[in-house]
Amino acid sequence: MIVDHTAVTRILFETFSAAEVRLFYGLGFVASAIFCWGVFVQIRKYRRGAALALDGSLWARLLAMFTVVLSHRSIDRRDAAAGVAHRLIFYGFTLLFIGTATITLEYDILEPLFGIRFWHGEFYLVFSLVLDVAGVALIAGLLYMMIRRGWMRLPKLDYARPDRSPGDADFDRPQYRREDWAFLWTLLIIGGTGYVLEAARLVWLQDRAVVWDTRWYSPVGALLAEGFRSAGLDAYGGGLLRHGLWWFHGLIALIFIALIPFTKVKHMFTAGGSWLARDPLAAQRLTRVPESASQVGVAKITDFTWKQLLNLDACTKCGRCHEACPATAVGAPLSPRDVILSLREFANATLESGVLPDAAVLGVHGKGPGQVAMETLWSCRTCMACVEICPVAVEHVPIIVQMRRKLVEEGAMDPLLTKTLQTIHKTGNSFGESKRKRGAWSKALPFPVKDARKEAVDVLWFVGDYASFDPRNQKVTQTFATLLHEAGVDFGILYDGESNAGNDVRRVGEEGLYEVLANANVSALASAQFKTVVTTDPHSFNTIKNEYPDFGGKYEIQHYTTLARQLFAAGKLRVTHPLKYRVTFHDPCHLGRFNKGYDAPRELLALLGCELVEMGRSRANSFCCGAGGGRIWIPDPVGSEKPAQNRMKEAAVIPGLEVYVVSCPKDLTMFEDALKTTGNEGNFVVRELIELIREAIPLQRAEEVTA
Amino acid sequence: MKILVAVKQVAALDEDFQIRADGRDVDPDFLIRDLNEWDDYSLEEAVKIKEAASNPVEVIAVSVGPVHVDESLRKCLAKGADRAIRVWDDCIEGSDPIAIARVVAAVAKREAPDMLFAGVQSSDQSFASTGIATAAFLEWPHAAVVSMLSYAPGAKTAVLRRELEGGLLQEVELQCPAVLTIQLGINTPRYASLRSIKQAAAKPIEILTLADLQLSAADVGEAGSLSRVRRMYLPDKGQAQLIEGDVAAQAKRLAEIIKEFKGQSP
Repeated sequence: MIVDHTAVTRILFETFSAAEVRLFYGLGFVASAIFCWGVFVQIRKYRRGAALALDGSLWARLLAMFTVVLSHRSIDRRDAAAGVAHRLIFYGFTLLFIGTATITLEYDILEPLFGIRFWHGEFYLVFSLVLDVAGVALIAGLLYMMIRRGWMRLPKLDYARPDRSPGDADFDRPQYRREDWAFLWTLLIIGGTGYVLEAARLVWLQDRAVVWDTRWYSPVGALLAEGFRSAGLDAYGGGLLRHGLWWFHGLIALIFIALIPFTKVKHMFTAGGSWLARDPLAAQRLTRVPESASQVGVAKITDFTWKQLLNLDACTKCGRCHEACPATAVGAPLSPRDVILSLREFANATLESGVLPDAAVLGVHGKGPGQVAMETLWSCRTCMACVEICPVAVEHVPIIVQMRRKLVEEGAMDPLLTKTLQTIHKTGNSFGESKRKRGAWSKALPFPVKDARKEAVDVLWFVGDYASFDPRNQKVTQTFATLLHEAGVDFGILYDGESNAGNDVRRVGEEGLYEVLANANVSALASAQFKTVVTTDPHSFNTIKNEYPDFGGKYEIQHYTTLARQLFAAGKLRVTHPLKYRVTFHDPCHLGRFNKGYDAPRELLALLGCELVEMGRSRANSFCCGAGGGRIWIPDPVGSEKPAQNRMKEAAVIPGLEVYVVSCPKDLTMFEDALKTTGNEGNFVVRELIELIREAIPLQRAEEVTA
Repeated sequence: MKILVAVKQVAALDEDFQIRADGRDVDPDFLIRDLNEWDDYSLEEAVKIKEAASNPVEVIAVSVGPVHVDESLRKCLAKGADRAIRVWDDCIEGSDPIAIARVVAAVAKREAPDMLFAGVQSSDQSFASTGIATAAFLEWPHAAVVSMLSYAPGAKTAVLRRELEGGLLQEVELQCPAVLTIQLGINTPRYASLRSIKQAAAKPIEILTLADLQLSAADVGEAGSLSRVRRMYLPDKGQAQLIEGDVAAQAKRLAEIIKEFKGQSP
């Protein structure tokens, strides 16, 4: 039985000379000072970015941040094993850190100042056990991460860049690989030497009952100690080993702390900060350019906001965005990861010194080290796959669009895109058609479609460019109008009052034209009387829902999939001829990822009697058709695979697939083309969900044949 | 140093357009207006010269037309013109290219530029004569359909290339000041972002009247023109009909058709 509880505690500086203890404290202060200096340099770097006020309450932001960080929810996604391993490291490290902090709290603060001691007896024993387990967790996690890097050869951890060629100095950035390994090894050595140190201490003090009798509260250390003893280590040898290893372990730990702000280790802070500053609508609602702004978009590194600079530092190179990006997948010179890392390197090279360099060397556009080339920026389809999957809340899309705004201002873009933007400015649509022809599709219907500007309607249908002018999509548009008519929905359209919604114009980076379009549509909508808005176009849906409020247009808007679901639920539409098709569903970026509309289309397919087989990449991980961000107006390079073709190949492996279902006008155009170019014509068909609904509800009156 | 660029706001036909009541033009309600495509290139050429020059060069866009022409002039300002001048007086309505050239030449006399650029032609009327007629009024040398230009502001001569038939190129050296009509493809016109167009709204457009140019009503409009439009119309579409049956039946039908036509003619 232990009599003196206070004697059961960790042996700290026993046998150390006063000079040694002073030296250790001295080094501790030096390490802390370097750490603080590093933190200062980093914060100064972020503060050199543009100002940004975060909206919402700080408490809500903190709660959201801690929920994500503590649950590891974002790290689990699409890589559960990495999630488990990171949890082991995170919790192991955190417990060990709290343990060390507890010692400091008592030994250096509470006891000398107030005479309070608590770190002994049963508390110490439980503490000791918990820390031993934490160490095991840490080492297990680290070993898995090493196996992952060393042997599993995950493509997402390959730093080779699609926007550089082999031979370029920054092609695969070996310094990152060295840093990754140094990080893992350092933690492993700190953890490993901790156990050996513990075992050495036990062997050294094997004759002291308060130490030896409670050794199994440090199970790993005790086991090792047994091993050392049977290998012939005696108390004297244990004492020597403990003394030497104590310094080694301590010095490495101090160096690690000092280097945190200068290495990838800083993600412990920057990732949390990035979550704290996260904008949940970062890609869905782009920021306006203030009327007073002297320039548009980002030209210099200091034009990014402090939050974006912080985003750059949060990146841990996990490669999830690299893996999700449709541009990367088809070999375009863009990886979201490399955009972030390039800009980070640029920021570190220019913004960490005491004096801010001249504006001349702060330009981020170009082909130099750390700069981003225009080919890279124009490869982006703003599909949001990168933003959505990033475990540390990096917001790539706004960064890319803001850089594009600068390119648009300089006219540095594809001539066909220039032409399209001029056409949209001139005619209000991307087809170069007369405004008067916008509602022409309705002439083929046997019933009139109301002009919502002239008579009040319940539902205002914002049709959008592709659904209005593209001949193939016009058929779908007419079918939807007929369905609404049969369901007794009181609806109308804006006819020539409607302009291109501007979603893609804004994502191209032509903010001035977007403002013109948004203002025109908001005032056209103001001239109409309606209760709610519906659209078949997810792109229009996104900008009207998320961006028009900034232009004074707040509406209750839904995509047709949810309206159709309501009509079925209310019995206004009834399936009379269930379809027995084997289908797969493509989530449109702007309906799915952007606005979480994953369920309504699937419920409709179930209602229609279809058997849905999901593709490997579905819902949040849906693969962009390649049309987003204005890319539908820019030709893809000849000879390279298009994202839509890549997607068709994915669908084609589903055995017995009959219908590839889409719910977006641009998807219909892109995938019907890709169906042909991938040689899948005849194997299955591409259909709008509206067309399947029509098929399951054959015409009620024979004369209502759409053109 | 000054380069004067004469530009025109052209009209494109909207869907289902109608002819004006007097039958001499399209009803303006059915026109979509924009800067003439050729003028995009001539303005770009002037702005490029300005940007490459070591001495300051002023690029001035000038157009003849009513208030809606300001929109196109603003586009010129957005693309790099330093100033814009619009000349208008109600009696200018109905002017042919010669009368318009008289006005442009008067502006050139007032501004005394080192060069005057114009587009080869306008996409709506295709006269291809305003630029050349201006040169005649000014008694300046001129070159038409210029596809390459080498000119340093202030130089006494310019060297240029003209496209001829059969793929021939003609290299010409001419005295400055001169009038050049610029061909498509000589450069790549820049994109004027909506923001730059909006900002250009802050730059003033100088409005000149005939009096400012020492011209009178007799110099412009139908009075000052050498030609007038009599009417504008869509010709009746030709019709083809395949006559079927044996030779006798075909001949019979053909004879009927001939009689029908004869019967219609007065």
